[in-house]
Amino acid sequence: MNDCERTNELIGRWLDGELSAGESEPVRAHVAECADCRGARQRLEKIEHALNSVLVAEAPKIEFAPFWRELERRIEQKPSWHETLRDWAQGWFGAPRAAWAVPAFIAVLLAVFSYESYFPFWRSRNNFATVESIDAYGRSVALLREDESKTTVIWLYQNQEGDDEAAEETPQPGPAF
Amino acid sequence: MELTDWELVQKCQSGEMSAFQELVSRYHQKVYTVILGMLRNREDALEVAQETFLRAYRKIGGFHGGSSFYTWLYRIGVNLAIDAQRRQKRNPLDFRENMDSVLEAQDEVARDPFAEVHDRELRENLVRAINELTPEHKAVIVLRTIEGLSYKDIGEILGCSEGTVMSRLHYARKKLHDKLSAFL
Repeated sequence: MNDCERTNELIGRWLDGELSAGESEPVRAHVAECADCRGARQRLEKIEHALNSVLVAEAPKIEFAPFWRELERRIEQKPSWHETLRDWAQGWFGAPRAAWAVPAFIAVLLAVFSYESYFPFWRSRNNFATVESIDAYGRSVALLREDESKTTVIWLYQNQEGDDEAAEETPQPGPAF
Repeated sequence: MELTDWELVQKCQSGEMSAFQELVSRYHQKVYTVILGMLRNREDALEVAQETFLRAYRKIGGFHGGSSFYTWLYRIGVNLAIDAQRRQKRNPLDFRENMDSVLEAQDEVARDPFAEVHDRELRENLVRAINELTPEHKAVIVLRTIEGLSYKDIGEILGCSEGTVMSRLHYARKKLHDKLSAFL
């Protein structure tokens, strides 16, 4: 990354005052000597100035007294049942409370994938692992794992339903390793 | 001597309505300005600002001072504004009305110093470019521009990291730059 690219990455943070002194100095020095980066700085400042004018100056001043009267009226009203329900739900399911969902989900996944070690009698009778379609002609791949011999067999085969359609184009039945 | 926000919050938690009134008087204009910056519609912004303080009042018992009061308050307001903006996006007619109301508002005040943005075409394009940003990108631009908040405070308000704030700001400014390049 050359100096201009690096300055372009940092110039916004520099103008926002979010760079440390050590990080700011090379940016300042480069902008001082590079006309392109000086132009980039001016354009960015022009955008900030325009944004400030449009966003801040357009906002009308709000009279406090009527604002407070209306707010007080709303506060005195009893919240409806759906507002109460919404607040309750947000308390439990909104961030950051919903953070409980992440470890809970991981725990469920771990339990599902490790249930065999806790309940050996549930161990499945075959060692057929996965079947996935791998192309548009209905061919699939099967993975067979044999724990004792540490052998994995990858078996490429064709689905029964896909035979008729695929036969014309791929006349090579049978497994391939 | 003027009480701090935290002292007012504590009084409010013990049931002093006047303490909450003081907090509202301190922040109602700022909250309204930030929300207006995001929604671009005065009536909607006033409604969302009212809702912000109403929710703050109902939840203030659960505020324990883990962050400053204003970041907590802005978090409520910005989240409500993001929700409202998503509803606006689903209704293009509303969007058109918003655009009209903003440009109308700018014409009204063309005689005051805010008319530093002289070129109407530039303003139209700027408003349009802001409206095309996602609610999350608009939020960082508005909080940074209007309030001049640090990346850390913006991150606290939006519930994201400083790095995310940084990248959203970089992206949003680039978008605005691209849209306005003909006028810069």
